[in-house]
Amino acid sequence: MRASLFITCYNDTLFPETGRAVVKLLERLGVELDFHPKQTCCGQMHANTGFRAEAFSQAKRLVQMYQDTDTVVIPSSSCVAMFRDQYPGLLEELGNEELRKQFTALLPRVYELSEFLVDKLKVEDVGAYFPHKVTYHASCHGLRALHLGDRPWRLMNKVRGMEQVALPNLDRCCGFGGTFSVKNAEVSSAMLAVKLQDIVGTGAEYCTALDNSCLMHLGGAMHRQYAGMKTIHLAEILASTEASPMEVPA
Amino acid sequence: MNVHVQPRPRSRQMILERVRAATHSVTKGAGELEDAYAALPRGYVRSGGLSGEARIALMIERLREYGAEVIECGPEQVQAAIAAQLASSGKHTFVVPAGLSAAWLTPGFEWKIDRDLIASEIEQAEGVVTAAFCGVADSGTIVLHHSAAEARRVLTLLPDWHLCVLRARQVVETLPEYFARCEQAPGLATYISGPSATADIEMTRIKGVHGPRLLHVVMVRDE
Amino acid sequence: MSHGSYHPILDPTKAPAFPSAVLPVLRNPQLRKNVAHAIDVIQAKRGKLVAEKTDWQELRTAGAAIRAHALENLGFYLEQFEERCTAAGGVVHWAADAAEARQIIVKLLREENASEVIKIKTMTSAEIQLNPFLESAGVRTYETDLAEIILQLGEDEPSHIVVPALHVNRSQVREIFSRTMGLKDLSDDPKELTNAVRTYLRRKFLDIPTAISGANFLVAETGSVVVVESEGNGRMCLTLPRTMITLAGIEKVLPRFQDLEVMLQVLARSATGERMNPYTSVWTGVKPGDGPQKFHVVLLDNGRSSILAKKTERQTLRCIRCAACMNACPVYRQTGGHAYGSVYPGPIGAILTPQLMELHHARSLPYASSLCGACYEVCPVKINIPEVLLELRSRVVNQGRDQAGRLFDPMYLGLRIASLIFSRAWLFHTAQFFGRVGLRFLRRKDGWIHSLPSIGGKWTQTRDLRGLPSQTFHGWWAARKRETK
Repeated sequence: MRASLFITCYNDTLFPETGRAVVKLLERLGVELDFHPKQTCCGQMHANTGFRAEAFSQAKRLVQMYQDTDTVVIPSSSCVAMFRDQYPGLLEELGNEELRKQFTALLPRVYELSEFLVDKLKVEDVGAYFPHKVTYHASCHGLRALHLGDRPWRLMNKVRGMEQVALPNLDRCCGFGGTFSVKNAEVSSAMLAVKLQDIVGTGAEYCTALDNSCLMHLGGAMHRQYAGMKTIHLAEILASTEASPMEVPA
Repeated sequence: MNVHVQPRPRSRQMILERVRAATHSVTKGAGELEDAYAALPRGYVRSGGLSGEARIALMIERLREYGAEVIECGPEQVQAAIAAQLASSGKHTFVVPAGLSAAWLTPGFEWKIDRDLIASEIEQAEGVVTAAFCGVADSGTIVLHHSAAEARRVLTLLPDWHLCVLRARQVVETLPEYFARCEQAPGLATYISGPSATADIEMTRIKGVHGPRLLHVVMVRDE
Repeated sequence: MSHGSYHPILDPTKAPAFPSAVLPVLRNPQLRKNVAHAIDVIQAKRGKLVAEKTDWQELRTAGAAIRAHALENLGFYLEQFEERCTAAGGVVHWAADAAEARQIIVKLLREENASEVIKIKTMTSAEIQLNPFLESAGVRTYETDLAEIILQLGEDEPSHIVVPALHVNRSQVREIFSRTMGLKDLSDDPKELTNAVRTYLRRKFLDIPTAISGANFLVAETGSVVVVESEGNGRMCLTLPRTMITLAGIEKVLPRFQDLEVMLQVLARSATGERMNPYTSVWTGVKPGDGPQKFHVVLLDNGRSSILAKKTERQTLRCIRCAACMNACPVYRQTGGHAYGSVYPGPIGAILTPQLMELHHARSLPYASSLCGACYEVCPVKINIPEVLLELRSRVVNQGRDQAGRLFDPMYLGLRIASLIFSRAWLFHTAQFFGRVGLRFLRRKDGWIHSLPSIGGKWTQTRDLRGLPSQTFHGWWAARKRETK
């Protein structure tokens, strides 16, 4: 199986270890991975802030870049949600007919990481080993835009050595919201405080998710508050094995 | 303050024009509109699947959840059931709509029959006895269409105690089944689902704000 | 009532922008506790009752379709409503804007020689700021909904469209009632407080012959009006007075009576977490011998027809004012309703208020959301609020594009530059390099950044940022590829 990795702009810059984990994981599962060197950003930040023309130019770039690709894997729910929920509207409003056709053909081949594993590779046990206590944060985009459902749990349940602790108020937003976190910093922080209380209350060592954006927000506050907990993308847990444990982030 | 009243008779035309321009509707033929309406998705549950017995049991359960007192009786015992409820109410003066069966007016109580009673007379009554149009089991709703036996709206509003006679064959399971029973839309209707209530103070549910605080139902098993 | 140091302003033309309007609330732990408690109670009840409804999604689909159909054919249904209501003895008035609606109502009250009026809770009357206008025209208004009385007597403002006083707790209610009703021995037991209101209002209901209501629905087929309520104050106002004036937005029309079989099933469950609200009243014009013998309906446009004209935004008008969106909203849960600077708070307010104001005001409201999507998920008529928020954000940005001040807005500049950077991989990679080098100076020994300049400082108010790793992912990939070759 061949797949092309769209790593996303912020993972590329801020969380390269997640990208390395995806590579380790998928290659271990026999996927032949490709990486388009000219990729940058899906345009979500622009679209969500109201800069629609700018978002459109990113969308156009990506659709054209990936039009001949078999399968695109993205380890970020919110960027996949951008593809599914916002590209159609953007292309209808600003796009040409040819671009729309290219997009329509591409869309069913775009997968979020857990979708790719469970739906496309049809695997739940990826051979992972992670001897830690972990709580899972369901990001809003994964939960309500992509409807990931039980996919993350089907994967996590097969991780050896891992103890899961359920997070209360699972469907409540952590308060990140992209530029919302600075445009409405005070409200965002208030939401964060409530979420952090729930997360720290689980007593887990790690909080994991399928979006590093939420984790950056949560992890930043954990670090500020000496919460004694860390954040980790689920890809890094799934990549970790007994023989080759997770790399410790810099 | 001096209020200048400037009637703008053209507002009607202006609003309608703006609405039509906004929806790009050229005067659609009634037929076309009818078709579009008929094509609306209605995949929800229209009629329920409960047996007759279960349907009545659900209605009674819902009414009791609301704090209503329910007693059941056969078609022959309606009078006796009403009399028993009246006797245990501790009340003496009742208003009734003019269309209510005269046989239900148990002797020994003061009955005010509503022939254009004024509000203050109705308010002085301690209770009211009426029939109903329908009951909806799913939500424990009593439907009044305010026919001659169901009383004018004010009668079931001012007295603190309401005794409603509901027949089993009037009880449907789902709300859509009630609407299906309306051969013609009622001009007036009141749907009562439990006594009046509020949760405006700290979401604490308090019963009996303005309407009758006590609801009694005589369920006539006529099926 | 003032909450600590501020009095809420619910006029979008005067209210402060959302980010600053939230500050007094966020510093008021009692208020936040009251809001969160109320929201959690409603949410739990709603969740339970929605879960037992096996056809909930089908009801939402039908609800959305019925409302959308009514709006697509609004001209037809409005005229049909007018014709049938008139035939039944009602008088229909049309108001293009708030000022005209207020004038029509005052004129009708003058004809009745009314110096007092009883009111059923209506958000539309709050929208047109009817009460202060009537008071200044010499008409005393008596709100009859318990929450509205708390607010009216406490000189406070609504913070929720279904439970408008949810930000006030029982001891605050006790204080207001005992002060304004002169009840010295009142306790803070909600039952006793409610009884005080029953007594306070009973005479008003019997004595004041003129009432004003809103409408939950207008039925085109029959010309009927529907009011959904819990307390019975609505039934009192609809039954006892001589004259009834109903104020309704033009979007409230349903095609047929039978459509209520969907709307009533979703409304109470969404609004209060009940299978059905205690009282629903349907009436049609005037019925001799039963209820008000004079009946007026004022149909209000006030910006609605311009919302109707916009493709994405039109769905806003499907709203049936159940407030499920604000109950589900994690932002509202923190801020309560006053910060939205409008009688319509929460997610629906964030899209409705700027549109009713045609975006001249309330430009910060479309940004008052983390776009988590909880509002859309619970909406019983499937209004895609995040989609409308994004549409409005794009309008706000486009309006700002030709304003000189944009060049001093770090957010605008930052996003314009980012857009350029993302347009070429080499520019992106160069920017990553300079970012890494630049941020190195801000990094502490632990490798984290504790303080950022400019808008970044908004981030580091409450969160640290891990320093940028020395190698990007694409850099690692390229190096690995070179090695394996």
